[in-house]
Amino acid sequence: MDKNNKIPFDEDNYTHNINKNNERKLDRRGFMKTMVGAAGLFAVSTLPWGSIAATELMGLREKKYPKKEIIDVKKLKVGDAFEFAYPTDHDSALLVRLGENEFKAYQNACTHLRCPVFWEQSKSELVCPCHHGFFDVKTGSPTAGPPRRPLPEITIQVEAGKIVATGVKRYET
Amino acid sequence: MKKVLYIELENCIGCRSCLAACTQCGGHEQRNRNYVIDVNPFVDRQTMPMMCLHCENPPCARSCPVQAIQVHETGAVLSAMTEKCLGCQNCTIACPYGIPKFDVEQNLMYKCDLCIDRTKDGIPPMCASVCPTNTLQWVTEEELAVKKSQFRLNNGMMASMEDPYLENKTNVHVSLPGILEGKEKLF
Repeated sequence: MDKNNKIPFDEDNYTHNINKNNERKLDRRGFMKTMVGAAGLFAVSTLPWGSIAATELMGLREKKYPKKEIIDVKKLKVGDAFEFAYPTDHDSALLVRLGENEFKAYQNACTHLRCPVFWEQSKSELVCPCHHGFFDVKTGSPTAGPPRRPLPEITIQVEAGKIVATGVKRYET
Repeated sequence: MKKVLYIELENCIGCRSCLAACTQCGGHEQRNRNYVIDVNPFVDRQTMPMMCLHCENPPCARSCPVQAIQVHETGAVLSAMTEKCLGCQNCTIACPYGIPKFDVEQNLMYKCDLCIDRTKDGIPPMCASVCPTNTLQWVTEEELAVKKSQFRLNNGMMASMEDPYLENKTNVHVSLPGILEGKEKLF
């Protein structure tokens, strides 16, 4: 009777546990389920980024800017620049008349260390005097010097002989 | 108070109430997990219930490669855990009584778990609760001791009389028919 009624080897609950009370709480399957669950949780938690990206890309969160009169077209000669403040009184900006009907306006705080950028008419360049940063007047993007980001462009339009600022373009890398 | 299943083989009339009751037990999913077999087919009409005897050292659980068959603290050998069982049917081969059944569709073994949801709280298993002839009894250890003093309970002779080595100690206790024990039983 002894022969077949013996437990063949010392059991531990890693290799051969048939005792229900000895069942490990976190076994291999439990661990895998936990990992998959955690991965799922992380996956779900990234979903809000999608809606944020959607609202940004579809322009639902575009800022509203007040219109602001800058200057009479007649007062600004071709090739000249005019300094103003937009959208608030503390954001200094620069309007450049490039041609008869060609105007460009940028917020003129240099994107390097926020020195005021001025218009160098002889070289047709926007210049930051602090560290010799240069910006292309057509696009606002830096051409030389320390700044790496373009100047924020201000949209303008001409209404009844006056130049009016209507908004600031989104910053895009 | 610990109670055990006690089988008085001689009382069986083959009504198969135990099978019907087994299908109704919660968690059994309408499938019965015990048998009623003819002892001597075509010779006499004696039948006997063939229950899982819930071995203390269960070959089904020992042979399971993934430990899907577990032994409850009450001694009941449970049905295969569905999340572990891989359907290798080792238990079906290992059991000397042929108790574990195999569901081919689910690729899953299932066997008597002594209605563990009931018996762990002291409620008799479904088969014992419906048996009209007291073939299956749910008795306390004291009652079992009385019965043991009256009759010789010998699990070793139940399935294989020639080879007692096949058998284990079991948690279900079987009283052999009186004709095998050489006495008349009056229940």
